[in-house]
Amino acid sequence: MKKVLLVVLAVVMAASLFIGCTKTVLLAEVGMVTDAGTIDDKSFNQGTWEGIVEAGKDFDYAPKYLKPTGTTQADYMVEITNLVDSGYKLIVCPGFKFETTIFEAQDKYPDTKFVLIDGTPHTADYSTFTLGANVVSIFFAEEQSGFMAGVAAAVELETAEFGFIGGMEIPPVQRFNWGFQQGLAYANENFGTNATIKSENVIYQGTFSEVAAGAALAAQMYDKGVDVIFAAAGGVGVGAITEAKARAVKGEAVWIVGVDVDQYPDGVYEGENSIILTSAMKGIGAASYDMVKAYNEGTFPGGETLIFNAENDGIGIPDENPNLSKATAKTVDDVFKDMKAGTITVSAEQGSLFQ
Amino acid sequence: MKKDYTGVIKSLGAVFLGLLAGAVLMAAVGANPIKGYIYLFQGGFKSFERLGNVFAISTALILTGLSVAFAFRTGLFNIGASGQMLMGGLAATAVALTFDNLPRIILLPFMFIVALLGGALWGIIPGLLKAKFNVHEVVATIMMNWIAYWIVYYTVKAYFTAGLETETASISAAAQLRLPWLTDFLNGSYLNMGILIAIGSVIIIKLILDKTTLGYELKAVGFNRHAARYAGIKVNRSIILSMMIAGGLAGLAGLTYYTGYSINMQIGVLPVQGFDGIAVALLGATTPWGVFFAATFFGLLHAGKGFMSANTVIPPQIADTIIAIIIYFTATSLFIEKLWVRFKTKRAETKKIKSGGDE
Repeated sequence: MKKVLLVVLAVVMAASLFIGCTKTVLLAEVGMVTDAGTIDDKSFNQGTWEGIVEAGKDFDYAPKYLKPTGTTQADYMVEITNLVDSGYKLIVCPGFKFETTIFEAQDKYPDTKFVLIDGTPHTADYSTFTLGANVVSIFFAEEQSGFMAGVAAAVELETAEFGFIGGMEIPPVQRFNWGFQQGLAYANENFGTNATIKSENVIYQGTFSEVAAGAALAAQMYDKGVDVIFAAAGGVGVGAITEAKARAVKGEAVWIVGVDVDQYPDGVYEGENSIILTSAMKGIGAASYDMVKAYNEGTFPGGETLIFNAENDGIGIPDENPNLSKATAKTVDDVFKDMKAGTITVSAEQGSLFQ
Repeated sequence: MKKDYTGVIKSLGAVFLGLLAGAVLMAAVGANPIKGYIYLFQGGFKSFERLGNVFAISTALILTGLSVAFAFRTGLFNIGASGQMLMGGLAATAVALTFDNLPRIILLPFMFIVALLGGALWGIIPGLLKAKFNVHEVVATIMMNWIAYWIVYYTVKAYFTAGLETETASISAAAQLRLPWLTDFLNGSYLNMGILIAIGSVIIIKLILDKTTLGYELKAVGFNRHAARYAGIKVNRSIILSMMIAGGLAGLAGLTYYTGYSINMQIGVLPVQGFDGIAVALLGATTPWGVFFAATFFGLLHAGKGFMSANTVIPPQIADTIIAIIIYFTATSLFIEKLWVRFKTKRAETKKIKSGGDE
């Protein structure tokens, strides 16, 4: 036993000699604190991080992300403090859960710049909203993104039954849902499609992590005759994709509409075939890239609220959709142009829509 | 009185082995382990704020660790600290949000009592099932965890949200365990009165175990259920009582976590502190003060790992893995010791039988 320990110690010592010699010119200034979930969640955290990494390559930063132990304000604040104390100057925080944390952090660390995605800083009781001069708050028009995906899916399939699986019932996910339903209705009215969705098939699972529950919900919906599920649900959506793939292999004609990023590669089941019809994307990566770029150039728009929508190409469906026909792509392009021009408007409110 | 230090030595040895294994892992990802550990400890001790946060993080762990350790002394494995913590936290939060006009001096004790009762209720049910129907407490407590999880999910959504669907409204300053002067003094640390509850619980549990008839009976049941029954100890009553107290302790963990460390409750989260409490209890050799130091050590690891990641090439996942390895070593070292003892006694027994047969 003693000998083993000695060997291990020797290896450690030797290894530590080699390290420390490598010097890097990359600046350790850009950091990120992840939201609930992992860095490879195939949507929110990953999208933000990929944008930061790309910007790091372009502007010589060595970016770093930290993963909080829990999801309370205290847990987030601990990690922000870790980055600040280690010399990081720009910290990107994806997710509305950071709202109250950033509210405190913006005053506590006035020399640090913060990017808050999907939220705006406020006190815990919502009595005070203050956007510090060192904070940029970023929102996306998820309803427009969901709308585009809804139109694309309806036009491609013409007659189909739709369903929606959400993660937690939070504003961005709700907007995806409501936009999607409006998109289906728009296609029915303007392109003569027969896209239907039942209220019982609009479900929020309640988490972003229960993969098995996502598969079970998808299975129920497909069994009830649903053809296409829009899954805006992180890990729960991954479960739905797995279920759809299993059915597609058996020859069933089932589809998933992806979310946040182009999920086409995640839905590949046989050769080149994918069960991802299209994806309702939000340009999280582009947004975080832009912020790092602005920081690098000294033009960080602190104190501003930025909204990414169709007008500035901040949202939309992927440029390439192998599962959509050319005719569909053309139709959807026209709709997108109209949305850009403002002739098509999408409501971000529930109104008479389901859930 | 003869002091037995084997527990302490075993735990320290386990920590050392764990740190060593962590060092190997750090070296494997290309980081300097010595620097890594320096940053890890700096992350916990560098400032008053950080030191405060070490204890803020360990507060709930002390209580869940005590909960697991206490049940363990009666021979019960309480995997349900998470659920008990949720129920304690939910009860305290519900009181804090409903009676927010009560003065602090009345409100806080009120919250304390309901948290204790909420956790105790969630402990007593598996205890009853075990005592009356011999349902294994591991199965029962795990199921109780999920029942608590979904009760919190729907109760919060139905009655206590504000603004967001996924968390309760924040409790008022009067209902928080945080002390403004302490927070200011520690430059924004999350240390709160919960630490006093935790330390108080350590002392009380120590007294119960060592100085009372109840403690003696519970421990007797833990050592040998059948012998205890033969000695006239009511085993079933002991099991129920033990689970009730364990549940109450975890309920208090919920109080400190949801009204001190945090000031609201999020749905869809089963607190990891409940499970970390198992490791804390094992590392602390299931003694009250052992649990206290083990939890503080865990608090240090959790508070420092982010600082280590920020300053080295060690990614957060590896930092988590290092912590997991340390836990693993602590858990298995006790396990190995148990096996060894069993092996030795078995051998002694067979020897006896053999020598008896030769005659």
